Amino acid sequence: MVDLNAESSVNRDQGETDRRPLPSLIEQLRLVAWLRLRSLRNGLRNKNRRMDLLGIVVSGLFSSLLVIGVTIGLFAATKYIFDEHQQPYLGLLFLGLLIWWQLFPILLAGFAAQFSFRSLLRFPLSFSAFYVVGLVYGLADAAAIAAVIWMGAMIAGTLASQPGAAPAMLLACVLFAALNITVERLLGAWLEKILSKRRAKEVMFTIFVLSMVSLQFLNPVLQKHGAEVKAGIQRVLPYLWLLPSAFAGSFVAKASAEQWGAALLQLAGLAMYVVLFSLLLWHRYAQLYSGEELSEGTAPERRAKAEASDDLDDRDSLGFLPPQIGAVFRKEINYLKRNTFLFFSLLIPPLMVFFFSMQFAGTRSGPFKQGITPERFFPGMMAYLVLMLVAPSYNSFAHESRGIQTYFMSPVRFREILLGKNLMTMVIVLIELSFCVMLVGFRVGFPSTPVTVATLMAVAFSVVSQLTIANWSSIRFPKRMDFGKMQGQRNSGMSVLLMFGVQLVLAGISALILLSGRWLDSPWLPAEVFTVLAAAAVAGYFASLDSLTELAEKKKETLIETLCR
Amino acid sequence: MPEIAIATEKLTRRFGELTAVDNVDLQVEAGQFFGFLGPNGAGKSTTIKMLTGLLVPTAGRVSLLGIDFARHPVEVKRQIGVVPEGMGLFERLTAPEYLEFVGRMYGLDKPTTRKRSDELLEFMQLADRSRTLIADYSHGMQKKLALAAAVIHGPRILFLDEPFEGVDALAAGALKELLGRMTERGVTIFLTSHVLEIVERLCSHVAIIKRGRLVAQGSMEQLRAGVPNIEGETLTLEDIFLSVVGEGTERPQVEELTWLT
Repeated sequence: MVDLNAESSVNRDQGETDRRPLPSLIEQLRLVAWLRLRSLRNGLRNKNRRMDLLGIVVSGLFSSLLVIGVTIGLFAATKYIFDEHQQPYLGLLFLGLLIWWQLFPILLAGFAAQFSFRSLLRFPLSFSAFYVVGLVYGLADAAAIAAVIWMGAMIAGTLASQPGAAPAMLLACVLFAALNITVERLLGAWLEKILSKRRAKEVMFTIFVLSMVSLQFLNPVLQKHGAEVKAGIQRVLPYLWLLPSAFAGSFVAKASAEQWGAALLQLAGLAMYVVLFSLLLWHRYAQLYSGEELSEGTAPERRAKAEASDDLDDRDSLGFLPPQIGAVFRKEINYLKRNTFLFFSLLIPPLMVFFFSMQFAGTRSGPFKQGITPERFFPGMMAYLVLMLVAPSYNSFAHESRGIQTYFMSPVRFREILLGKNLMTMVIVLIELSFCVMLVGFRVGFPSTPVTVATLMAVAFSVVSQLTIANWSSIRFPKRMDFGKMQGQRNSGMSVLLMFGVQLVLAGISALILLSGRWLDSPWLPAEVFTVLAAAAVAGYFASLDSLTELAEKKKETLIETLCR
Repeated sequence: MPEIAIATEKLTRRFGELTAVDNVDLQVEAGQFFGFLGPNGAGKSTTIKMLTGLLVPTAGRVSLLGIDFARHPVEVKRQIGVVPEGMGLFERLTAPEYLEFVGRMYGLDKPTTRKRSDELLEFMQLADRSRTLIADYSHGMQKKLALAAAVIHGPRILFLDEPFEGVDALAAGALKELLGRMTERGVTIFLTSHVLEIVERLCSHVAIIKRGRLVAQGSMEQLRAGVPNIEGETLTLEDIFLSVVGEGTERPQVEELTWLT
């Protein structure tokens, strides 16, 4: 059993230094704050981090606008509630704060830079100091700072309308803040435990992304089932009084009406929540303090040797490919299977095509009253698919990490590696494209044969042209990405710029060619032009491979350094 | 005349103002177990990267088994195996998948790759973890896998950067025996390690690099002969290393840390 309050009792009988008292709690907090500040400052030596800071400053400015807007809104709402004697509605304001405070940090968990709070455990930090540091961290959170400002606005609103109720509002806000910090830290600690498992982290991010995509369907669903959804919400509303936000609101309402008995009862309810969650957080932090292992702790199950290669057989299903290209292709398949996030993101294009077909196509009511005809919808959707599916190729070595060394150590020319990777992209594009063509045909109908052929040839031209440029971009502007991580997982700025530029130019050229058929009243002309362009793109692609191999040889140090870092 | 497996001529690598490797001339005969030593930052890893094609020399020439690396990189790479500094593993593959990938990259057919992969995994005691992702392996297990990948195609020269780091004593013993047998068959092994006892026990020849310059090279006997010692006392590699590297370098004095000692 670990004595949580024992402060460095281990080495008391040793040298003089060990008998010195530990720094006070305030001093420990100051040291941790200094550590965070230093980490931030030293991190800025890196040029990329400086760019990140610039990004943070810009997004911070936009966030400030949101905070200021809500501050004014809450001040006005509180004042209105007191002016119009609508105090029972105060609970709704607290409910808004509760949702914000608890939900926002969870949504940010995957994106925001995390300071390893647990790493403090290697220092002789007392448990009480560890607990307080944890809470202070909670208060330093962006969501918490915004919520504190908003509570300040609510107190100011109360002061402006009914100054006598301000002390009660202040007390409610203090307790409510304590509760929210505690709950947020507790959720954070549990989330950390869940996300420490690689697979769980990937699954969670995937669910998050798919949820975001599913939100697109909210509008159509509400249009169809709006009445049922409303009835469901109304059934839940009566139970909201059980939430701490309702206790906080009711306490202020009763206190402002000088119903002290009822007010105290509500305050006790809120305090009970604070005590309950503090105990849970205390327990959770005690587990951390005792040295809980959060990494992929359990050793992988020992399996029978025979099982080791039961899914592999000596037949080579990729025997028609040169072995090196086949090896890279097979590796890419394995990487796709293991990257839950990437794997499930392949569901997004068909989902979006389905969504677009619901919203914009056909003759139905909606934003486009007349609906978009298949003649236009089909090329539009194919362009969208190419846009989505070829994008990762602009940084195709992103997930190789230290494995990039293997490519350069192997007796292969880089063209084989590029061919293996591009083959994988082509297969994905073909599968998704076939599925989406069927989907579009089923939902909206097929366009005329000349438009169908022209569109498919345009896709071939666009994909092959883009792969040529994307290969160059991957070698020239590599950026490492990690599995199961969302923070900082984006291509380099130049690569993004290049991708947008290329896609814009290709989309413009393709649109012009497609329209030229209509202008010149020659329906097969676009198909013929795109066929020639696609053939030229294929020739250009193969011609580029040797130059790209030379470029990779020249840039291998940058590639290795960037991806292995 | 013995075949020269590794030869460098005035091999130089500069990073901006810093010359990490400075006019290094190495000669390693085929079948030698060659130790390459030096203090931290001396240029060992930079040299090994240039010898294995992971880094382009600023000047000079590398020739392996008589083939110019710069002119015939693919032909040279076909004959060498490497355990690089970062191990170069694809962490999202399992060990059999990775070995299959490497085997195929070296042009082995699938049944041969499979057979060798199974045998190597068994030898490295990784067979019961064949479904675990490499990312979930311990450092020592990753090292053993990197070694297995380096030998799967039967290389004629093996470059090993700290090969025993993190490897348990049992596996390390078996590995040393394997490497010893490989040299008996004529394979050249070029090894860097900070554990001088290992180098002394395994290597027949040693080179020492200091601040990018080669300061000693030869067999253990030749190196011993070059360092003054008390009569009747056999110098260890550590004595030689400290004598060669310590020359002109101020050694940290323990006595300065009075509060610890």
